[in-house]
Amino acid sequence: MSADELRAISPLIVLGAAALVALLGITIRRSHRFSALACVVGLALAMASLFLRGSAPPPGPLLVADDFAVVYTALVLTASFAVAVLASGYMARRQRPEELYVLLLVATLGAVVLVWSGHLVSLFLGLETLSVSLYSLIGYTRTGPRSVEASIKYLILAAASSAILLFGMALVYAELGTMVIIEMGPALAVASGRTLVVPGVALMVTGIGFKLALVPFHMWTPDVYEGAPAPVTALVATVSKGAVVALFVRLAWALGAAGQAALLVAFGIVAAASMLAGNLLALRQDNLKRLLAYSSIAHLGYVLTAILAGGPGAIEAVSIYVTAYFVTILAAFGVVTVLSGPDGDADRLEEYQGLVWRRPFVAMVLVLSLLSLAGIPLTAGFIAKFAVIFAGVRSGLWTLLAVLVISSAIGLYYYLRVVVVMFAAAPAASAVAPPVPQSSRVLLLCLALILVWLGVYPVPLQGIAWTAASSLARESPPVTTPLGPATARRP
Amino acid sequence: MITLGHYLVLSVAIFTVGTIGFVVRRNLLVVLMSIELQLNAVNLALVAANRFHPASHAGQVTAFFIIAIAAAEAAVGLAIVVSFFRLRHTVRTDEADRMRH
Repeated sequence: MSADELRAISPLIVLGAAALVALLGITIRRSHRFSALACVVGLALAMASLFLRGSAPPPGPLLVADDFAVVYTALVLTASFAVAVLASGYMARRQRPEELYVLLLVATLGAVVLVWSGHLVSLFLGLETLSVSLYSLIGYTRTGPRSVEASIKYLILAAASSAILLFGMALVYAELGTMVIIEMGPALAVASGRTLVVPGVALMVTGIGFKLALVPFHMWTPDVYEGAPAPVTALVATVSKGAVVALFVRLAWALGAAGQAALLVAFGIVAAASMLAGNLLALRQDNLKRLLAYSSIAHLGYVLTAILAGGPGAIEAVSIYVTAYFVTILAAFGVVTVLSGPDGDADRLEEYQGLVWRRPFVAMVLVLSLLSLAGIPLTAGFIAKFAVIFAGVRSGLWTLLAVLVISSAIGLYYYLRVVVVMFAAAPAASAVAPPVPQSSRVLLLCLALILVWLGVYPVPLQGIAWTAASSLARESPPVTTPLGPATARRP
Repeated sequence: MITLGHYLVLSVAIFTVGTIGFVVRRNLLVVLMSIELQLNAVNLALVAANRFHPASHAGQVTAFFIIAIAAAEAAVGLAIVVSFFRLRHTVRTDEADRMRH
C-alpha cells in the first residue's frame, strides 16, 4: 500500500488510532478529562484529515471516497463531536465514564466505513462495527434497568436484522457473482435468471429498514430511545441513521431500484405508513424521548419519500434533510442531556413544565428545535421539508405528498404541545436541575445558530448537497434495467 | 450433480429454522443461538455461491468476516445478557417489559 493510498484512508486510520489512544489511556490511569479530550481531538483530527487526504482514491473496491461520502462523513464526524461534548458534561456526574469515549470513536469509525462502503463486505463490517459499539453504549449505565433492557432489545433486533441483511446479500451475490456495489447494476442488466435477486434485495431492504426504524420494523425505537443514556440516544438518532441513509441511497442508486413499479409501490407504502404511524403514535406520548423516537420514524418516512422521487435532485433533497435533521435532533437531545440529573434522564414531559421561565436559554434551544422538527419557516426543518416536497412534486408522487402534508399537520400538534407545556406556569416545587456545563452551553448555542442560519440562508447547504448528489450520479449513471421479471428487458 | 440450488435450499432451510427459533423462543440465550444459526446459513450460502463464481473469493472472504463478527457479537451480547440477569434474575425476553406504556 503506497503512501498516497494510506493518505486516502487517513480519516479511518485517525479514528482507529484515537480509539486505541483512549483505550490505552484508560489502562494506564482512569481520567475522564483525558478520555474525553482524546475523543474530541481524535474526531477533530479525523475531520481535518478528511480534507487533507489528497485526491488519490482509496485502494481496492472496498471503499469509495467520493464527494457524497465526504459530505456524509463530515456530518457523521460533526455529530459524533457534538455527542462527545454532550457526553463529557453528562458523564461527569456518573460513574466510570471513560470507556464511553472509546466506544463512541469505534461507533464513528463504523459509521464512516458504512458511508464509504463500495462493497458488500465493507458495508457489513461498517454496519457491525457501528452496531456492536451501540449495544454497549445503549446499555452503558448498566445499573439502570431501563438502559440494560434497551440494550437487550437493540441487541436482539439489530443482530437479527443484520442476519437478514446478510442473507439478502448472499442471495444477490449468488445470482450476480459480484459484491462490488457499482458493478451490481450492470451485472443485473445482463443476469440471465433473476429469481434470487428480487428476494435478495427485499431481504436487504428489510435489514436496512430495521436500522432506519421504518414501519413495520420500528418496534425497537421508542424503547431504545427511552432507555439509552441521552447522549447515546442522540448518537443513535443521528450517526447511526444518517450513515445507513447514505448507504441506502448509494445502494438504491447503483441498483436502480428507484425506477421499478412494484418496488416503488412497496417503498411508497412503507414511507406512507412510517409517516402516519410515527406521527400518530407520538400524539399520546408523555415522555419526550419516546415522543422524539416516534417522530424519528416519521422523519425517516419523509427521507424515504425523497429517495423514492429518484434522480440527483432527490438525492440533494435527502442530503439537505439529513443535515437539517442532524442539527435539529442534536439540539433537542442536547437539551435533554443538560437537564438530566445524576439519577435518570429528564424525559417526562412534566419536568419541562415552565422551563421557559426557569431555564430560558436551554428552553429556547428546545423550542427552536421543536419548531424545526415541525417544519416551521425560518428553521432548518422548513428548508428540509421544502426540498423533499419539491423533489416529490418534480417526480409526481402526489399520494405520498398528500400523506406527508397530512402527517406533518398531525406532527405540528404534538410538537407544539411540548412548547405549550414549556410556556406554562412553573410548578411551585420544581426539582433543582444541574448546572449546564460551559462546553454544552456553547455547543447548544452553535446548534441553535446553525439551525436558524440554515433556515434563513440555505444556499451553501444546497450547493454542498448538490455536489454530493452529482458525484454519485457521475460514477454510476442511472441503470435503466432495474429489478424486475426476467422478461422486462435485456440489452 | 449438486448444483447451487441444492446448497441454497439447505441454506434457506437452516435460516428458516433460525428465524423460527428467534421468533418462538423466549430465552435470550436460545435467541442468540438462533441468530448464530441464521449467520451460519448465510455462510453456507456464501461459500457455495463462491464455488460457482470463482472469479474472486468474495464469498469465502465474507464468510470469514461473518465468523469473526459473530464471535464479537456473541461476546458483547452475552455480556449484556449477564448484566440483564444481574438486574432481573431472569433471561427471558418477555420479562424485558419495564418500558411498556
